[in-house]
Amino acid sequence: MQGETVIQVESVDAGYNGTPVLENISFTVRRGEVFVVLGGSGCGKSTLLKNIIGLNPPLSGQIRIMGDRIFGGTQAERERAMRRFGVTYQSGALFGSMTLLENVCLPLESFTDLPGDARNLVAEMKLDLVGLKPFSGYFPSDISGGMKKRAAIARALALDPEILFLDEPSAGLDPVTSAGLDHLILRLRDTQGITFVMVTHELASIFAVADRCIMLDKQTRSILAEGHPAELRDRPPNATVRAFFNREASS
Amino acid sequence: MTVTLPETCSAESVSTLWRETLSEVARLSKGDELVLDADVVKRCDGSGEALIVELHRRSVRQGFALTCRDAGHIVARTLSLFDLASFSEDPATVNPQRNTNTPVQLGQASVRIYGDICEQLAFLGEVAVSGLSLLLRPERLRLRDTMLHFERAGIDALPITLLIGFLMGLILAFLSAASLRQFGVEIYVADLIAIGLFRELGPLITAIVLAGRSGSAFAAELGTMKVNEEIDALITLDLPPVVFLALPRVIAATLVMPLLSTFAVLAGLMGGLVVLTGMGIPAVTYWHHVIAASTLSNILMGLLKAAVFGLLVGLVGCANGLETARTADGVGRAATAAVVESLILITLFDGLFAVLFYVLGM
Repeated sequence: MQGETVIQVESVDAGYNGTPVLENISFTVRRGEVFVVLGGSGCGKSTLLKNIIGLNPPLSGQIRIMGDRIFGGTQAERERAMRRFGVTYQSGALFGSMTLLENVCLPLESFTDLPGDARNLVAEMKLDLVGLKPFSGYFPSDISGGMKKRAAIARALALDPEILFLDEPSAGLDPVTSAGLDHLILRLRDTQGITFVMVTHELASIFAVADRCIMLDKQTRSILAEGHPAELRDRPPNATVRAFFNREASS
Repeated sequence: MTVTLPETCSAESVSTLWRETLSEVARLSKGDELVLDADVVKRCDGSGEALIVELHRRSVRQGFALTCRDAGHIVARTLSLFDLASFSEDPATVNPQRNTNTPVQLGQASVRIYGDICEQLAFLGEVAVSGLSLLLRPERLRLRDTMLHFERAGIDALPITLLIGFLMGLILAFLSAASLRQFGVEIYVADLIAIGLFRELGPLITAIVLAGRSGSAFAAELGTMKVNEEIDALITLDLPPVVFLALPRVIAATLVMPLLSTFAVLAGLMGGLVVLTGMGIPAVTYWHHVIAASTLSNILMGLLKAAVFGLLVGLVGCANGLETARTADGVGRAATAAVVESLILITLFDGLFAVLFYVLGM
């Protein structure tokens, strides 16, 4: 099944209050790949992500998730598209008043009619997938930052999405925890066949997981480069890309 | 018996299968055989995997044999993916943090309340010390912040205070006029309103408005700052949060209350005027009685009470804000606690003032 287009972004202008920060962005994400969106701070990565996951409409252009339009189509089309992906946010965004198990159970309660013991078992298995089963009864405030991110991934996995969006999964994590998270991402892709779209600037994790990446640029408001990270590092198409991959400070 | 998994194992197909088969599976025991037919399965999501794990778990627990027809290796893949032995019987009850033992809960609650009281006393002490040190170095007060809170808690609250004050005067006049009319002395309604508003209702209703509008806002603001680690940043910059955040709010609330209360009283007197002129009493007579009843001691008592109530609302709001738990839930609870505690303290102090003024013969 690898190779089929799952996300298609067609000439999207992204921005707030009518002012675009990105113009005429087009790319596709194919099934089973780990796709990384790169770029310096403030270049519009998160804005673009918010457009794709349907939080804010793009200023113009079209976004299709497996053929279904998130914006500009019918409500049924949007719901179908929204059900295909899960999202984890930078801070984890777990609900603080619920245990990890209850956090993972929440989408199952709302969108399936599985009986209670089945829901609990599904949730526990999702927590097992991310290695957090012993902590299913803990509250988010009782676990570490890395565990919160993994718990957020378990919650995003609850409804078996085909695509998983991760917003800066390694932000604020130590290298070891961050590497563990990369490992988890690859394992989930291989065992569950999930397509990943990640926003990150963590070079180590980009080289570890990314099959393909695009780099956004603040000045030109466009995609600066596209390709495998090793390729971009070894043969950078321009100075900005070289600076990013070689960690050169701009003057 | 045989359990046949459908081609697509999704939450919809599995939920019916789960309900139907598991009650029958529960009757199987040692020596029975369960055939799990997964030959036709093409897609299997988390709920399908959960069913496979559940059947496997039951076969171990109840001792029946589980045979799998597994052309697509779905069952084998699922069973290899998870650590089967460690799934709990009822994961919803597994919580090392929760303790449902009543004496233990009671003890924990007592310890928590004791801790809360200690923290509040410590906060009170800190405010008192830094407030007094402000007398020596008044330039340390953040005047701009104080003025800002003065405006938000006071001037912005003026419309609602005037409205409630006016209506209270109106209602009070109607209620008392109905009784006093039987004796033909409606004119004393004016005295009653003046004394009632100056001494009691003016400060009280203003304090309630302040608690609802500003006390909760103080707690929510400081609570969100705590969640965002802004309070920690202040402490590490050696700017005590009490001086930087609490004092401007407490001072603003204390100073603004007498003013707001005065406006509430004036609006209330207008309300009374409307009722009494409607009953045929000339405005001149009304004002004459009002002025006679508004003795200096009545007015000062009211202003003192108002200032004390403002101090209470400011202190309680800031204390709850600074002690917020670092969650979204915590901010909400801090705001609620600020209002509830303010109202309790206001009522309590109102009672104390009543006794005090009675003993002093005022």
